[in-house]
Amino acid sequence: MKIVRWTVCLALSAAACALTSGTAAAETIKVGVIATFSGPNAIWGKQFREAIDVYVAQHGSEVAGHKVEFIYKDVGGPNADASKAAAQELLIRDGVKYLAGFDFTPNAVAVAPLIKQAKVPAVIFNAGTSSINKQSEYFIRTSFTLWQVSAPAGEWAAKNGAKKVVTAVTDYNPGVDAEAAFSSTFQKNGGEIVEKIRMPLNTTDFSPFMQRIKNSGADAVFAFLPAGPATFAFTKAYNENGLRAAGINFYGTGETDETTIDALGDQAIGLVTAYHYSGAHDSPLNKSFVAKLKELHPSSRANLASVGAYDGVELIYRMIKAAGGDGPKAVEAAKGMEWESPRGPIKIDPVSRHVVQNVYIRRVERGSDGYLINKEFATIPNVADLGYSQ
Amino acid sequence: MTDLVTPRVSTRRAIPLFGSLWPIAIVILAAFAAFFLFPYDLAFLTRIVIMMVFVLSFDLILGYAGIATLGHAAMYGCGAYAAGLFALHISPDPLVGLLIGATAGALIGWASGLVLLRTHGMTLLIISIAVTMVLQEAASKARWLTGGADGLPGISVSPILGFFEFDFVGQVAFIYSVCVLVAVLVLCHVLVSSPFGLALRGIKNSASRMRAIGTPVYRRKVTVYTIAGAIAGIAGALAAQVTGLVGLEVFNFSLSADVMVMLILGGAGRLYGALIGTLIFMTVHHVAASIDPFNWLFVIGFMLLVVVFALPDGLVSLPARLVRFLRRA
Repeated sequence: MKIVRWTVCLALSAAACALTSGTAAAETIKVGVIATFSGPNAIWGKQFREAIDVYVAQHGSEVAGHKVEFIYKDVGGPNADASKAAAQELLIRDGVKYLAGFDFTPNAVAVAPLIKQAKVPAVIFNAGTSSINKQSEYFIRTSFTLWQVSAPAGEWAAKNGAKKVVTAVTDYNPGVDAEAAFSSTFQKNGGEIVEKIRMPLNTTDFSPFMQRIKNSGADAVFAFLPAGPATFAFTKAYNENGLRAAGINFYGTGETDETTIDALGDQAIGLVTAYHYSGAHDSPLNKSFVAKLKELHPSSRANLASVGAYDGVELIYRMIKAAGGDGPKAVEAAKGMEWESPRGPIKIDPVSRHVVQNVYIRRVERGSDGYLINKEFATIPNVADLGYSQ
Repeated sequence: MTDLVTPRVSTRRAIPLFGSLWPIAIVILAAFAAFFLFPYDLAFLTRIVIMMVFVLSFDLILGYAGIATLGHAAMYGCGAYAAGLFALHISPDPLVGLLIGATAGALIGWASGLVLLRTHGMTLLIISIAVTMVLQEAASKARWLTGGADGLPGISVSPILGFFEFDFVGQVAFIYSVCVLVAVLVLCHVLVSSPFGLALRGIKNSASRMRAIGTPVYRRKVTVYTIAGAIAGIAGALAAQVTGLVGLEVFNFSLSADVMVMLILGGAGRLYGALIGTLIFMTVHHVAASIDPFNWLFVIGFMLLVVVFALPDGLVSLPARLVRFLRRA
């Protein structure tokens, strides 16, 4: 029994040391990146890692005398068990001072009790459900939420000629968020939602839905689908079933993601989406970011995951500069921080700890280098996370 | 004198029942050793132990009764959601939560088993996958209850037996899971060495002969499927309590497939094959993924190929094979 107690004490005190050792000068500060690096969703981890590479290549791996080290942990997709175990290992054994990554909502929510206890900030590079940040005050997010981009899309559509819209979303939480956000602002601005269609998650044949959209008499469709095969099939059906020919406009959000858009081909040209980042954003900072990415990873294209991770690392560097490895102080310092990102000016909202950013209305065009791009043509400035108060 | 004699008699009588339980002692010793040797990896070790419980339940139906399914996650998921919802809305007691998880797993096992077990082979495989997909879709739709794709968050359980609170490092969670594993092992051991266990092996080898000697084959299969469902439900409930969140991925096809891979790797039809397979699979996975988080799948694939070609009966058959090989040499 004595041995048991002794070992327990040892393990606990070691853990406590790892967690509480403060801002001693010139130490190595470790950042644990929890994301998906294998399996069908490995694109998230790949984009995160490449963006981190770019940031480190541009800014070095030393901040205020501290060396910053990134440790990657693969969780293989949405997997709360693996995410929590990975976070525990990073916090207890590796003694990380910051957690980062988190592509899927359950993976982020699962670590909420841990970061609360360990007082370690977790920077979310993607997971976009508004309620995550309510689970712990140590969550800070540099991506977007569906409310944040869909609500401006509804307002813009209503003010730019759309009268009757049918919403067609994938039937899971992000889809429902997108539907609710778009309809609320669209109706507030005098538009009419004629039908709300929810499509099952694993749908591959969208023709029946296209028929319903046509029959509804709407002049536009607002769609939300998870990136990948579903989006591909949906836009294909949109063209082949004559919706485009019939003059029914397409409004979306992340459907024209840079990493999948070229697979869509010419049928994507002309699709209008509202989003917070386009790889073709016209600013010197974005140009240098994209150029560096191309240099380090020639086959890669910058998308929302890249910019989420790039700004996330910027935020971590800024927090280290302000507070070293002191978690609570770092979160305090992060509140209200603002800087210029490749996506435009951004700011961390002190209440929701979510990024306040411009939302751009873009149209798909063929760029000068032959690739399809999202060309921004209208801006809705400084949008906060509208879903936080929902 | 009498004091000395009495215990000797009782041990002798106990031998048939407990004599073959020594591997369970090894499991307990190994758990103790792991606890002290890897104090920083308890979260991962706990995941292994929970997965062992789950794979054991699959061993009962595939290894002993010869029922091949690819939908074992159905029972695991139901156990997880039942225990999660119970902890959130009714009572945070972990042991009652396990019981609820077991009941949910058993219920779904029984209900789906009634249909499933009337079929064989490919049909059974496909229907078992379908059952899991239906449950996943239902959980995804019932957002008001399950939280949908965001998961069911905020599950917290009270201290076990009123004393042992779940701690940050994960010591209590590990010990708790090991206790559950040992209990399940003893239960499975008793089960497979009982006449019922013999009947299952008979059904695996030749269902028609068993029918000819008067065994109600269908009823036996439904019974073992229900028991396996209860154990899978316990594994799901444990996972829900330890992680504090249940996501839709508890019903993932890949989970059902992984379970089968772990069992085949270790050796089906032997309780310890399930344990060894799980341990090796998850450890190799973990180590390979820590060394190279981007290309570790290659290592797993290579290991599976080697084992399936060189040791078709799984890793538990390795010692016997080695002995035979050395004798020949």
